[in-house]
Parts: sequence; structure tokens; C-alpha cells
Amino acid sequence: MSAAADITQVPKPRAARNVAATLTGLCLVLACAAPFGLNGYGLYLLTLTEIFALVALGLNLLTGYAGQISLCHASLFGVGAYATAILTQKAGLPYLLALLLGALLTTAIGALAAIPALRLKNLYLAIATLGFGVVLQKIIFEWRGLTGGGGGLALAPTSIAGYELGATGLYYLTLAFMTIGLFGAWNVSRGRTGRALLVIKESEISAGSLGIHAPRYKVTVFAISAFYTAIAGGLFAYLVRYINPESFNVGLSISFLSMVVIGGLGTIGGSIVGAAFYVIVPELLRGIKDAPGLVFGLLLVVVMVFMPQGLWGMMRGLGRRFLR
Amino acid sequence: MIANLIVGGLAAGCLYAMVGIAIVIVLNITDIANFAQGEMAMLTTFFAYSLMESGGLPWWQAVSVALVFGLVQGIVIQQVVIRPLIGGPVLSAIIATLGLNIVLHSAAGLIWGHQTYTFPSPFAFSPPFLIGGVPVSVDSVVNIAVGLVLIIAMTLFLRYTWTGLSLRAASQNQTVARLMGVSITRSSAIAWGLGGFVGGIAGILVAPSLFLDTNLMSALLIKAFAGGVLGGLNSLVGVFLGCLALGVAENLTGAYVSPSFAEATTFIIIIAVLIMKPEGVFGRVRVRKA
Repeated sequence: MSAAADITQVPKPRAARNVAATLTGLCLVLACAAPFGLNGYGLYLLTLTEIFALVALGLNLLTGYAGQISLCHASLFGVGAYATAILTQKAGLPYLLALLLGALLTTAIGALAAIPALRLKNLYLAIATLGFGVVLQKIIFEWRGLTGGGGGLALAPTSIAGYELGATGLYYLTLAFMTIGLFGAWNVSRGRTGRALLVIKESEISAGSLGIHAPRYKVTVFAISAFYTAIAGGLFAYLVRYINPESFNVGLSISFLSMVVIGGLGTIGGSIVGAAFYVIVPELLRGIKDAPGLVFGLLLVVVMVFMPQGLWGMMRGLGRRFLR
Repeated sequence: MIANLIVGGLAAGCLYAMVGIAIVIVLNITDIANFAQGEMAMLTTFFAYSLMESGGLPWWQAVSVALVFGLVQGIVIQQVVIRPLIGGPVLSAIIATLGLNIVLHSAAGLIWGHQTYTFPSPFAFSPPFLIGGVPVSVDSVVNIAVGLVLIIAMTLFLRYTWTGLSLRAASQNQTVARLMGVSITRSSAIAWGLGGFVGGIAGILVAPSLFLDTNLMSALLIKAFAGGVLGGLNSLVGVFLGCLALGVAENLTGAYVSPSFAEATTFIIIIAVLIMKPEGVFGRVRVRKA
């Protein structure tokens, strides 16, 4: 799909819009009801899916809309997790405030990661951001007095306004953040910023000649996606209650990128579908004896070969065909 | 001391360079960063190992057969996985190679298990060279020599044969190349075959120094990308020198700056170089008109 097709959006037919609204509402109701029908592990997986979806939403703005590849998002996720954890456990701040402050800190760091992006493209940018991520991870690892170093950081459960945040509470908190994040990303993508990003992806020169200040938008979108990622990190810290610098490695960054591509580059819904694919499919495959990795890898290849536009792109295509 | 460090760095760097050359051949012609390159090479190396251990073939025969296997493997993967994705988003193809990476890794794990093997090398028992009083292992010298031969051969092939010419045309502008009668799918298949072949050479040369297991290539792959980017991905010599420089830089920063920050320092250097030279040190900056 070319960006030109994205930019000249034809208003959707009323039927399609109604169906989309109904489906979104239905998903939200199901998500709210989920804790009543799931056991502890199922709830954990669903929370994890929502956390990863939050990361994927931010990364999709960066990669899918602006066309910038980042391999440092695992480290930004880690910075968000550590900042939130340290601010609550060592500084004694309330959880939501710590989450916000950690996210603001990470946003500033994410904007810093945009500096190489002002000059680099494609693989060069991928390797530069990868290097940035390695440096961040190393700083977390070596700053032992603050972060506990390689031994990791174990977290006690936290509370919001006197109400202790258990698994269900954290699930609803994550769901709330994801819904807000979804709405935010949807608005960014449809607005002036989203259209500017699409032009930048297609050609920076034509963006410049249209009066779009590409460097400023690149820094902005890096910062936005860092904010999303950090909030997700802060939620993740209290979901797993034990964080370790080793887990925020390049492999996780590559997984984030895969989620976005599998779901569908430049689609909001795709971010959520991609995150769900990455968390839930390996769980379903756990029953297969020898080779869960083999089957997961094959599925990854098959999805890409038969649906190069991602799962969401295919679903949208099917939807269009039936609703015409 | 410093000479030893540099020689050690060069030895590590030429392992990166082997993988880097294989990656760059595919990357330049098809625009696809092949994340499965390392695992393809690992599979070829295991194939050679099995031919020697179970098949009882001598080193040279086993390696020759395995390299043909590498070539065919590259072409088959291109036909099955990459061909349907030609013309689609490049990132989708890259993620497909990532999936392939997982598939090949698990498949190798199923066949050969996760223990380590010792891969024989015909040069294992040769005494090290002494260059200016610094011992240099024969393996490193052979690796650097093979790397240079590969670069020269590839350069000659790309410059002086019709196939090479069509490959370069396809890499510059697919539409125009197609108008001139160059088959894009065919040149992509050739690139993948060559990549599999060169990757196989890399695996077989790397395995004696690293021990053969299913994780043989995972550490090298990222380093090869980083070295290639440092040197400039559109020049084979650049990739080779970039990888060597990366190996040396890692060793030197490890010794003189801080052992635990060696990797981080190296990446800071790479980022700094890239900010000044966005297409790598030896890369030609392509003029962008759109």
C-alpha cells in the first residue's frame, strides 16, 4: 500500500464504520469481562499482551508511519521499568506519579535516540539504535548502587490510593492505559502529525518542499514512541515483579519490531493483533512436543509470505470484500 | 602488548567479515537484510560435519559437497520464501528471514541436539606464524586470505561477467533492469545462492575456532551487521575493513578503556562515525532525488 493511498482517505461507508465501532465496543466489553473467566496465568498473559500492544502502538507510529527502524526499544522499555521501580521502591513516590515521571525521563532519552535518525536510514539507523540500546542496557547493568546490576531488582506489590494492586487491578490499569494509548495513537495517526509522518516515510525531500520540518517530526515521533514504551515498561515491572537488565536485550527489540510487522505496518489495530500473536501463539504451541520454536518460526514465515501487509491488512481486506 | 591485542582483534574481525560478506551480497542485490544468514551457514557447517563423521569423507570432499549444499539451500529458500515477497514491503521480507532463522535453528537443534562438537580444521596442528615477534595463528591468516580472495573474486564476477552485470543492474534499479531484459527473480535467486555459498565458507572457517553448536553464528551475525555498517554496506572492501576494524576496536577498548564497557564503547564509536559518515567510512553516498 502506498502512502499516497493512505493520505487521500476516502470516508468509509457508513456500514463499515458502524461495524468497526460495534467490533471495537465488543472487544472492550470482552476485555473488561476477561478477569471473571480466566485463571491467574491466563490473566497474566492477557496483561502481557496489552503491555506489548502498548509498545507496538508506539513503535508502529515510528516504524509504520514515519518509516524509522529502531532496535533500542527494549532498552527504552527497560529504562521505563527501572525508573518506575526505583521511584516507587527507593524514593517512595506513588505508583502513578512514578510511572509518569519514568515515562517523561524515557521520553527525553528517546528524543536523544532520534539524533542519529536525523542523518541515518534503514540498516544504518537500525545498527545505530541497536548500539544506543546496548549502551543504555550497559548503563543499567553497571549502575549497581541504583539498579542492583546483574542481580536484578525484586519488587514488592504496590498500591494506588490505599488499594493494593493485585493481578486484577493491574490488568484493569493496563487495559485503561492501552485504551487511552489506542485512542491517542489513532488521533496522532489521523491528524496533521500522522500525515506529515507518512510523507516523511515516502520521501524526505518532498516533505521538505511541502513545508514539513522532517527533523522536528522525527524527534517528536521518537519521543512519542518512547513515552508509550516507557509506560508499558512501568506496567511490566509490576506485572513480573522482578526485573533484570539482561531481559531488555536486542532480541526483545527485534520481537517488538516483528509484532509491528506481523500485525501490519502503519495500522493501529495491527499493533494489538501483532502483540497478541507474539504472546499467545507460543503459548498455544507449548503443547507440541519437540519443536515449539520450529512451528512458531514457520508460522512467522507463512504469515509474512501470504500476508505481506500483516494480519490486520489481511483482515481489513477481507472485511472490505464482505461489507461492500 | 598492543600488537598482540591488534592481532587478536584482527582474528575476531575476520570471523565477522566472513559473515559480513555473505550478508552484503544478498543485501546489495535484493535490499533484504538476511537475518537467517547465520543459521544457513550453521546448517551448512553441520552438514559438512556429518559428511565427515558419519559419511567418512575426507575434509576437502566433505567441504566441497557442503558448499554445494549451501548454494542449493540459498536458492531453495529464495524460491520458497523470498520470491513471493519481491515487490512487497522490505520489512516483511526481513521479518520472514527472522522466522526462517528460528526455523533453521530449531531444525538443527532437533537433528544434532544442543551439545557442542569440535569441527576439524586442516590447519589445526600447524605452528603459528611469527610476524614481528607476535604469534599469529594459521587459522586467522587463512581466514583473512580467504576473505581477500572472496572479495577479489566477487568484484571480478560483478564487473566482468554478463551475470554480474545483470546483478548490478538489478540492485540499482529493478524497473529499468527489467526493461533491459534482466529477470529480477533470477538475479535474486543467484544472489541468495551466492550468499548461501559464501556463508557456508564462513561457517566452515569459523567453526574450528568457536566450537560447532547451534548457536555458532548468533553472536557473529549482529557483529557482522555492525562492522558492515561501519565500513559501508555498498562496498565489499568496506565491509571487510569495517569488520576487521570492529574486531580491533573491541579488543583495544576492552584492554584500555574498560573490559565491561568494551561492547558499549565500540557501539559509541560506531554511532559517532555514522553521524559523521552516514553511509559508512567507505560507502559512496547515493544522491537521493526522491
